[in-house]
Amino acid sequence: MGMTAKAAFAMLPLATLLCVLWLAVEVNLPAVWSWSWVPALGVSLDFRVDGLSLLMLLMITGVGTAVFVYAGGYLEGHPQQRRLFVLLTLFMIAMIGCVTADNLIVLFLFWEMTSLISFLLVGFNHEESGSRKSAQQALLVTGTGGLALLAGFIVLGHAMDTLSVSTIVARLPDLEPTPALTTALVLILVGAFTKSAQFPFHFWLPNAMSAPTPVSAYLHSATMVKLGVYLLARLDPGFGEWVLWEWALKGVGSLTAAWGMVLALRERDLKRILAWSTVATLGTLVMLVGLRGEGATVAVGALLLAHALYKAPLFFVAGNIDHGTGTRVIDRLGNLRHAMPWTAAAALIAGASMAGMPMSFGYIAKDIILSAKGGDDVFVFARAANTVFGAIAVAVAAVAAIRVFWRHPGNNETPEAHEGGLALVAPPLILALVGVLLGVFPFFVQELIAEASVAMTPGTEAVVVGLALELGPAMLSVAVTLGVGLAVYLFWDPLHRMFERVAAVVGPVGMATQYERALHGIPRMAAASTRWVQHGRLPGYGVLLLGIVALLTALLLVQAWDAFVWPGWEPVSAGYVGACLLIVAGAVLSLFQADRLVLLLCAGLVGFGSAVFFLYVGAPDVAFTQFVVESVFVVVVASVLLKLRLQGRGQGLHGEAWRPTAAVVSVALGAVVALVLLVASAVPFDGSLSDFFARQSVPAANGRNVVNVILVDFRALDTLGEITVVMLSLLAAWPLLAAVRAQMRSASRDRQASKGGHA
Amino acid sequence: MSPRPVMLDVVARPLYWVILLASLWVLFRGHNEPGGGFIGGLVAASASVLWAIARGSDAAARRLPLGSPMKLAAVGVGIGVLSGLPAWWMGQSFLTHWWGTVPLGLTDLTVSTVLLFDVGVYLCVWGALAGYALALLGLGEDGPVDEDMAGPQNDRRDS
Repeated sequence: MGMTAKAAFAMLPLATLLCVLWLAVEVNLPAVWSWSWVPALGVSLDFRVDGLSLLMLLMITGVGTAVFVYAGGYLEGHPQQRRLFVLLTLFMIAMIGCVTADNLIVLFLFWEMTSLISFLLVGFNHEESGSRKSAQQALLVTGTGGLALLAGFIVLGHAMDTLSVSTIVARLPDLEPTPALTTALVLILVGAFTKSAQFPFHFWLPNAMSAPTPVSAYLHSATMVKLGVYLLARLDPGFGEWVLWEWALKGVGSLTAAWGMVLALRERDLKRILAWSTVATLGTLVMLVGLRGEGATVAVGALLLAHALYKAPLFFVAGNIDHGTGTRVIDRLGNLRHAMPWTAAAALIAGASMAGMPMSFGYIAKDIILSAKGGDDVFVFARAANTVFGAIAVAVAAVAAIRVFWRHPGNNETPEAHEGGLALVAPPLILALVGVLLGVFPFFVQELIAEASVAMTPGTEAVVVGLALELGPAMLSVAVTLGVGLAVYLFWDPLHRMFERVAAVVGPVGMATQYERALHGIPRMAAASTRWVQHGRLPGYGVLLLGIVALLTALLLVQAWDAFVWPGWEPVSAGYVGACLLIVAGAVLSLFQADRLVLLLCAGLVGFGSAVFFLYVGAPDVAFTQFVVESVFVVVVASVLLKLRLQGRGQGLHGEAWRPTAAVVSVALGAVVALVLLVASAVPFDGSLSDFFARQSVPAANGRNVVNVILVDFRALDTLGEITVVMLSLLAAWPLLAAVRAQMRSASRDRQASKGGHA
Repeated sequence: MSPRPVMLDVVARPLYWVILLASLWVLFRGHNEPGGGFIGGLVAASASVLWAIARGSDAAARRLPLGSPMKLAAVGVGIGVLSGLPAWWMGQSFLTHWWGTVPLGLTDLTVSTVLLFDVGVYLCVWGALAGYALALLGLGEDGPVDEDMAGPQNDRRDS
């Protein structure tokens, strides 16, 4: 892929970023666009950009520009680089659609699009089985959540009688909880939790790290995994007062934050360490959405932005180390600052922001989070989790920024380590520097965060206080966190060994193991059910099918037993009786035949008897048709049977084992059908339609044969459809039968050849 | 190889035409008497089955109009659609049928798009049913000798 093509691809997010900036400066929010799409279902392409959407859009396009540039350098010379760029572009479009859509169905479509493209991106190195497995896991977890989300959206849309997100959010606070709304709430929570890797669906995110680094930085830290948080924040003004909502978000978020940080200590792969800390951050974000109060709202906006600005560069750093040394395992890395000075600088700046050092945007985010908690009602667990979270964030930042670049000179097993090109160095440096810039001059984003907060909690005013750069009370807790974090960092290896032992106990019952178990269970279950239902024995299929029909019809009959009117006895003609005797004779005779050909003839007797019957009840056309069809059928099948017999196949009847069951099912089905016919014939006949056709046949259609007039004139379109179906069925069956014939031809040729050989 | 009966082989040719004529009679009387395109097509298909048993299914397929059941069925559907088009072009709803008479001196011939439609049904049913029947009859018909040339002589030489 040439320079020009890469530059052209990178222009896409850059141009979009400029558009978004123009939107932010020039247009009064919220901006609304709308096109009609499926008016009958209330689905229209509604798009609405408010502060929250704007914040997400800036992250998508801003980090997107860096990712596109970085991908150009990271996959330099990769034969499928173009595919990566196309997928990344599609992904960016899906994200933009998702955070601007104001219609539940449209939002869901873009949401699913991100899941699908994520699958393709995680599995980008599809020759590796690990990549394929991770991609499948990501798709199954987020896709299942997507299904729950769709169900939740449909229930919510039905209960609210509109699909417009903004209308639903505006109306919800006035409503009392109903079972429908609660169901919708739970389903939407499942969807959001799977997407944002919340406990117990957290395990897919670190495994998704088998994606190329630009993908991890873009999808799995800066944008896609934040969609769940985005959706929760979007719906928070509506559901915020619900106890279930509040406690689910607080509980699951805190648990995820704590658990993610603990699991980060277990890992030795730099990228996976970063992934677990992303899981923890997502948990913190979910918890903050669940907290009440304006401070929490501002904190969500600030942390969203801060995390994108430090985590994406850190992923780039991990990618650069991988690119320059060929490994990401921290035991084999050390003292890289000489070989990779620019990457080291980027890591240091981004790490400072992640650790919440003063003069970085991470510090401001942390400051706001602390004040948010301070203002809230007592929630000890959340606060404790946050202390752990902050401390381990410091440790993770120190591992990524200090350990591999400044420490462990003896660990440097990679003397060939080298710095990447400009495309690899510039994106992390620029993003990290933006983080510092906003840390020093927070008023650049003050307006943006304020707008986002207003979108999440209407009437928020507290933002101005939070965003000033102050070295006040937060300083103390920052110092505490720093101290604990540094201790964790220093004792990283002993802690790691300890958690390995814990994990050995937890592993067999953990979620990842359960997932594996469920995944392996699917083919086993499919195999078992296939053995049971699809056994390949035709008599068995017949018994099952007819048995179920008989059972269901019998249940219906029993249910309506009292309402039935039984027909009276009417004298019948001799021909009528004769036809019935013919049918009965054929049916009874066929019971005692062991030869297929004779059996066919007996069954044919039933058909001819029916034709005679039709003659006597005034349906000559039907009788005529029945005669011809029955003759052709018997002749063709008899001919096939004879040929099979000449080949020595198809002799005698198989399936003796089915006989007793088949007898029961046959008798039951016969009885049920006879009952239905009896009951149906007793219902007074509505002759208005047949009277109409009889009256209109000659004057309107010039024909005296009413049956034919109906077929070719009154209901000609139906007939046209029927003959089209007849033709299409032949189109489908013809090649199949031709293939069977060709197979038999080659078999017979082989036989002939072997005979010739013996002679 | 199944030996083919000589008697059937002899009567097949006249019988084939008699059955086809009967099917046409059934088709054309259909609007006023029992019959019509559907039944006519079934009768015609039975003629093809007769030929297939007497001379082989490939020979029967070649004897069909257009030489192939699939084409025959498709043309039948096409004619059915065609019969509805005149009314549609003139602004009436699709498949509104037209009637007219052609004076022939002694008598008048009644023509209609209904008859065209019924011919379409006839051809489609003939083609489709014959297609199924011939394909089934063709199974196991092939010996090592190419069945395309199957005729009485071939059979005799075979057996």
